[in-house]
Amino acid sequence: MGETGSPNPHCLGVYDVVVIGAGIVGAMIARELSKLEGRFALLEKEAFSCFGVSKAGLSQIHLPDFCPPGSLKGRLCKEAPTRFKALATDLDVAYREVGELWLAFEPEQVVDLEAARMRGEYHGAKGFEMIGPERIREIEPYVTPKAVAGLYARGVGVVYVPEWGFALVENAVQNGLHLHLQTSVSDIKKEKAFYRLVTSRGTITSKFLVNAAGIHADEIARMVGDREVRLDLRKGTMVIFDKAVSHLVHNMIYGTFSERHSQDIAPTAHGNLILGVHYVRPEHKEDRKVTRQDMLETVKLGRELVPALSEKDVINSFSGMLANNNQADNGDFYIAPSEHAPGMIHVLVGAPGLTAAPGIADHVVRLLRDQGMMKEEKRSFQKNRVGWPRFESASLLEKLRIITQNPKYGHVLCRCEHVTEGEIIEAVRRGADTMDGIKHLTRAGMGRCQGSFCGTPVLNCLVKELGVAPTWVTKKGVGSHQIVGYTKEAAMVQGSGEC
Amino acid sequence: MLRTSHVDLAIVGAGPAGLAAAVEAKRLGIKDLVVFERDERPGGILRQCIHAGFGLEKFNEELTGPEYANRYIKMAESSGIDISLDTTVLEIDKNRTLTVVGEKAGLRQVACKSVILAMGCRERPRGALGIPGTRPAGVFTAGHAQRLINVEGYMPGRTVVILGSGDIGLIMARRLTLEGAQVKAVAEILPYASGLVRNVVQCLQDFAIPLLLRHTVAEIHGDKRVEGVTLVQVDEQWNPVEGTGQFIECDTLLLSVGLIPENELSKAAGVAIDPKTGGPYVSDYFETSVEGFFSCGNVLHVNDVVDNVSLEGETAAYGAFHRIKGLPAERLTLAIEGNDTIGQIVPQRISGLRDTTFYIRVKRPMKKFVLRVGDRFEKKLPYARPSEMIWVKVPKDVLGDLRGSVTLRCEGK
Repeated sequence: MGETGSPNPHCLGVYDVVVIGAGIVGAMIARELSKLEGRFALLEKEAFSCFGVSKAGLSQIHLPDFCPPGSLKGRLCKEAPTRFKALATDLDVAYREVGELWLAFEPEQVVDLEAARMRGEYHGAKGFEMIGPERIREIEPYVTPKAVAGLYARGVGVVYVPEWGFALVENAVQNGLHLHLQTSVSDIKKEKAFYRLVTSRGTITSKFLVNAAGIHADEIARMVGDREVRLDLRKGTMVIFDKAVSHLVHNMIYGTFSERHSQDIAPTAHGNLILGVHYVRPEHKEDRKVTRQDMLETVKLGRELVPALSEKDVINSFSGMLANNNQADNGDFYIAPSEHAPGMIHVLVGAPGLTAAPGIADHVVRLLRDQGMMKEEKRSFQKNRVGWPRFESASLLEKLRIITQNPKYGHVLCRCEHVTEGEIIEAVRRGADTMDGIKHLTRAGMGRCQGSFCGTPVLNCLVKELGVAPTWVTKKGVGSHQIVGYTKEAAMVQGSGEC
Repeated sequence: MLRTSHVDLAIVGAGPAGLAAAVEAKRLGIKDLVVFERDERPGGILRQCIHAGFGLEKFNEELTGPEYANRYIKMAESSGIDISLDTTVLEIDKNRTLTVVGEKAGLRQVACKSVILAMGCRERPRGALGIPGTRPAGVFTAGHAQRLINVEGYMPGRTVVILGSGDIGLIMARRLTLEGAQVKAVAEILPYASGLVRNVVQCLQDFAIPLLLRHTVAEIHGDKRVEGVTLVQVDEQWNPVEGTGQFIECDTLLLSVGLIPENELSKAAGVAIDPKTGGPYVSDYFETSVEGFFSCGNVLHVNDVVDNVSLEGETAAYGAFHRIKGLPAERLTLAIEGNDTIGQIVPQRISGLRDTTFYIRVKRPMKKFVLRVGDRFEKKLPYARPSEMIWVKVPKDVLGDLRGSVTLRCEGK
């Protein structure tokens, strides 16, 4: 949304529960709450759900073989792939099933694979196979010949997180949730049985609070007096490869893990390859800078797994943020009521936050009930949300049917990803009002030209559909204007050259 | 099922290459042809090139981009050529069946005897460069900014740094200045400008815009909108020279760092691509490695001047005409190779049955040198730079009896 979109600067609403942060975890919690009778709201400082750290990850649904026995994260990751698969059907979003292959390069590392298998089985995962070099080559022909053994399991998956975040929130809104975008919380005051949140767009009142603010959760905790909460951040670089090399990897392939790196390459939900992760200390919380060195270090990690990978085929690199908290031991999640603020639940999660998200949502609702939130299940809850047709992935006959129903689906606006005007209009009507919002929901601008061709038609589509001036349109919310005014000639026609 | 129609010739793209090919094909006598254009109007990228400098060769006068395009659009109209606008070609199979889609056209298939690929090129985006820093609004390719300004009447920014001295970047430096924006610098990583000399003079020097050679953007600053860039000097290996970083405040960064022939359709049809040009390997009839597929203009190799693009369109039309009419098949005999002085050559193989114009880019700047084709042909040239395409016409008799391959090379300084 643009700077003009603040209709009510005063009270934005009174709620039973307010969830702060619409990352994938906040979105999952909000949808879970929307199954109950009551007034619920989701606050997000960015222009869109999952615009922060959530979108900048590997986007994988893992097995719990990373999680130590007895850990909270292990418990919450239980049956995650099955849960995601069911949600994909309910929400009409993509879930691409793949296998996982954890490699050992030295005979000594085979013990680590055994340990991973035991961790996985402890948390209820099944179907692990210890395999030798030959079988590895069968499954992944391009893997390094240095791999001496592998732990293989089927039934993990990859998703596109912004698509999921949007669908979860849309479904929750369908079921009565209030969504407040571009609303950042600057203070929280306790007033009798309520909390009053001071936000950038007005005040909000709520009985219960969920702090799902991700890397800003420590700031939110401080607002209610929980000063001891600290987050330890690591910035991780990931790279995306051109689809031309997608044949090199078919499963999630892991190598070694340390403080400095996680060796992980996999297909994305959209059919590229994604590789990570090279960690460094961020200069500050908003540090998303990727240096050439970071990019090369990341590619080096990938080449140890799949030697045919090359930096020449990298089409994009980006960084995400991994947050470990100081409240739980051994890097575990900390999901618990506040020390100082009754009725507030802190959700401090690191990796694998996405995998655990459905489990986290259940857990948070349980904790809210323990805190006294008495809400009945909503009989009218509608679990299904319907997406819209995707032209590019449709078969020829489906394409014909889609176009017959709506000829705008015959107008290709994004030539690289074959995204049509029909899809973009649908995304705008459902709430995408920024360039990045449209990009994440439709893929327009995500292909090899990175929006240099479709940027203008998408901008014009936003102008037309929203009925706003082109100077109002932003890349990703307040302050990120796409254009700054009009040319001399156009200004004469318009009467003004400035925004 | 899908409707399938049949034509003799399908042309993909109604930019300067496709339009010239269509006009020439019609003139040669191909009656049954169709041009597919994804935009709502014909003309391609010329529509946004409102500066002058087009047509000196072809029309003997200086035209703007839209004027040049209009000449061809009029010729196409008067010869009754069918241009299917707002129509995207989704796929072409090896047997030359095109799957096309449009809001009005619907989804349909067109089978043809020959197809001319004239899709043009795209700009290298930021992601492919790996420029470090944040991801704010205000980073555009030069062509994107050109369209915003010249077609839409929008100003992309007020204070601008341009990375890369490609022609579009240079033209945009002048255009932005004329619109009241302040262009603070043009940074070029090479020790020489990538664009034409006349553009360096007319677009930068005339407006006192500094051209910083051997410089690049080390970092982009700003969270929401660009707030500035750090420019840094580089050494011969393009590594930053320590201590040379300078912060320049600006709200916009334009990228003019290279053009890439847009051959996704060609590759999907099995057309072999020359890594040097980024376009198909072609014969002197501009036929690609797949029979019945021809290529011309910036999808074949990136050109400097549009007049040449039109000429290439005519050559491709001539080739397609031969293929359709079933005139003697000219399967090719002589491969053209370049030694290490040559950056790229088109065509990469010849029949020896007609005079051939070779389009060449040298690898490094050269002065007073001789261009040799094997030991059969030589031409003295005063100078050449990678940024300026040179061409030499070799009569068919000179190479006609050779078989195998022949090497092109530059000898001199």
